Amino acid sequence: MFVAQGVPREHCRALCEALRSAPREELETIQERVTRSFSQEGITFTVHGGDEAEERIIPVDCVPRLLTLAEWSELEAGLVQRISALNLFLADVYGDCRIVRDGVIPIDVVLDCPQYRPEMRGVSVPNNAWVAVCGTDIVRTHEGFMVLEDNLRVPSGVSYMIANRKAVKAGLRRLFRTCRVQEVEHYGRLLRQTLTELAPRGRLDPSLALLTPGTWNSAFYEHMFLAQEIGAELVEGQDLLVNDGFVYMRTTAGLRRVDVIYRRVDDDFLDPLVFRRDSLLGVPGLLNAYKRGNVTLANAPGTGVADDKSVYAYVPDMVRYYLAEEPLLKNVDTRLCRRPEDLEYTLDNLEHLVVKRVGESGGHGMLVGPHSTPEERDEFRESLRAAPAEYISQPTLALSRSPCLVDDRAEPRHVDLRPFVLTGAQSRIVPGAFCRVALRRGSLVVNSSQGGGGKDLWVVDL
Amino acid sequence: MLSRSAQGVYWMGRYLTRAQYLSRLLELHVQALVDRSVEEIHFGWRRIYRTMKRFPPAGESWLPEADEFALADSFTLADDLTFERSNPDSVWSSLERGRENARQMRHCISAEMWSCLNLAYLRMRDLETVDIWRTPEAFYGQTCNEIHNFVGLADATMYRSSAWRFMRLGRAIERVQLAVSLILAQTELGRRMKRRTLGWAGMLRMHHASEAYSRLYGIEIRPSRVLDLLASDPLLPASLLSSVRAAAAELDAIATGPDAEADAAARRLAGRAGAMILYDWPEARDREELLRRVDRCTRDLHGTVLDAFVDYGIQDAPLR
Repeated sequence: MFVAQGVPREHCRALCEALRSAPREELETIQERVTRSFSQEGITFTVHGGDEAEERIIPVDCVPRLLTLAEWSELEAGLVQRISALNLFLADVYGDCRIVRDGVIPIDVVLDCPQYRPEMRGVSVPNNAWVAVCGTDIVRTHEGFMVLEDNLRVPSGVSYMIANRKAVKAGLRRLFRTCRVQEVEHYGRLLRQTLTELAPRGRLDPSLALLTPGTWNSAFYEHMFLAQEIGAELVEGQDLLVNDGFVYMRTTAGLRRVDVIYRRVDDDFLDPLVFRRDSLLGVPGLLNAYKRGNVTLANAPGTGVADDKSVYAYVPDMVRYYLAEEPLLKNVDTRLCRRPEDLEYTLDNLEHLVVKRVGESGGHGMLVGPHSTPEERDEFRESLRAAPAEYISQPTLALSRSPCLVDDRAEPRHVDLRPFVLTGAQSRIVPGAFCRVALRRGSLVVNSSQGGGGKDLWVVDL
Repeated sequence: MLSRSAQGVYWMGRYLTRAQYLSRLLELHVQALVDRSVEEIHFGWRRIYRTMKRFPPAGESWLPEADEFALADSFTLADDLTFERSNPDSVWSSLERGRENARQMRHCISAEMWSCLNLAYLRMRDLETVDIWRTPEAFYGQTCNEIHNFVGLADATMYRSSAWRFMRLGRAIERVQLAVSLILAQTELGRRMKRRTLGWAGMLRMHHASEAYSRLYGIEIRPSRVLDLLASDPLLPASLLSSVRAAAAELDAIATGPDAEADAAARRLAGRAGAMILYDWPEARDREELLRRVDRCTRDLHGTVLDAFVDYGIQDAPLR
């Protein structure tokens, strides 16, 4: 936000001025109004503790993060390039496996990944869009934008992008107008268009359904919100059945065919006949209907193999391999502890590195070296030696910070952002993102389950 | 529409109607606590409990003799009926369930409806009886109004899809069952009282029928006239006849369900309940028995509606 101490970047000048000149009470009132609007509208996520489930609100900071249109364009081009390569990778890895045979990615990195689904071998996907909805975690360092993680399974957070926008826009109307902020509210329309483009052949006016695990899922609000936005039925596994290779939902007028399922249920639970047998969330026979091309699942099963933390290290190579281009977005330098030299380096530099378990997400199973205690490092050292293939390590990044309203004054906090890339017949992105913020001072963990919150991202045309 | 969604909005309608009905009963009764006799207060509590088919926390021997006890006990009883989590029909439980159904079916209702209901829920969430006991009638009145507002917003903003019909069907069936239950409680308990008119004016207020009664019959309260008005007057929105007709009209507006047999049975039951009130009521010798038949009919209607549209067998269901 600042080029030097106290000197804002050009596009942040209006925001800085507004923050400086606004009386404390006014900022406090705006913040209160933003928080209250979330509570009143029931924009919540569910937290489970024992038998109890509690609806909670993601803390929202009313001060927006700003990017220029030029910065956004650079990011957008990088994201489109990356998702193109990832979709080609998925088609390849469940097809001819050229990338493995050509020695770009070791076979064991792919096969050892628990998200690799042999059941998907030989399956072709409409428009080759294995990943229809991708939520890429981006951080910004002094080296520019970097991809922290590709979320290719059931990425969430887009409803908060829209809710944050609505709440913050209402609180900062004049500033919003001055900054000529790009709109994000058409995300639902684009998502519907994307899903429609992926419908089975011959289904010109496809019937859409959003498959949710149910009301107790932490992202249920988002499922409901998106179903409403795209005009889809919000279904649970119990509402669907497969008959003669086609998927139907139970309606008050009988069984109605479903053409496209935007599924927000993990692969494991999708079809008890193929994946986890004890799943009550899925639909028996769904994968068979999918393989016969009678229904589209977005995202396709098995996409998790491409956002695995070990496979992540190879994404720049995928871009070069499939697109013959240099990656526009950088990866964070990643060491795979399955390699002896990387393991040794990691063990020697634990206090400087971030170590992540490949199968974990949400900030769990992670050691942030500089913030860790000697005991925690010893514990990780043991785990690393016991199962090195399950870990990767990365340098601790100097993440960019953005001002947040803390105790009625602006204080810097670390932020990342998660833009959403939609891919049907083509890739589309709304100019905005779910911007996550580590609300605890000095913290680098932005996950909402670990003290993180959200803020609005403004792409400004200044 | 999705069967589970239809079921959700149907139950949302039922629970919110229950919360509103009980709030209205309690609003009128706590007003009576100020200046009515102990006998009347006890009668009122008994009537509410019988309507809700529930025993008071201390069982049947809860009736104290002195006013002080009555007042102290009123607090406990109001708490049991208002905030008691283990009472599935308390105002809180009904509102919470209605709101939970609305939360799950937010995509079927309008944003304005959800916001209105969620605010009512948030207002009540952290309250206890002690917080409302200085002016309990204001609390119950506000709760009634909030649900009235919700219904008004539904009227003004909700798309007239099947969801709208199922919500209104749920409201109508719940209204019939509660009204029958209250009328039976009044007649059965009233028989044991020395003052035969005890409670009948309250019955009129409960159903927003005092003005209509005065206009039709003057100021003298006669139980048989009150009964006629509450049961069979087609112009009184809260009469049994109006509610049964509303249920039948909603059912008529919903497309035929996949279980044709259950669908036809549901429509017959709604018609039969209406016919009982319209044609049998004026000549019925045993009106309590007739009310019980209407009650059974609407309970069957509830089950048959679910059979026809939600729990139907898939073997013979049409594919679309």
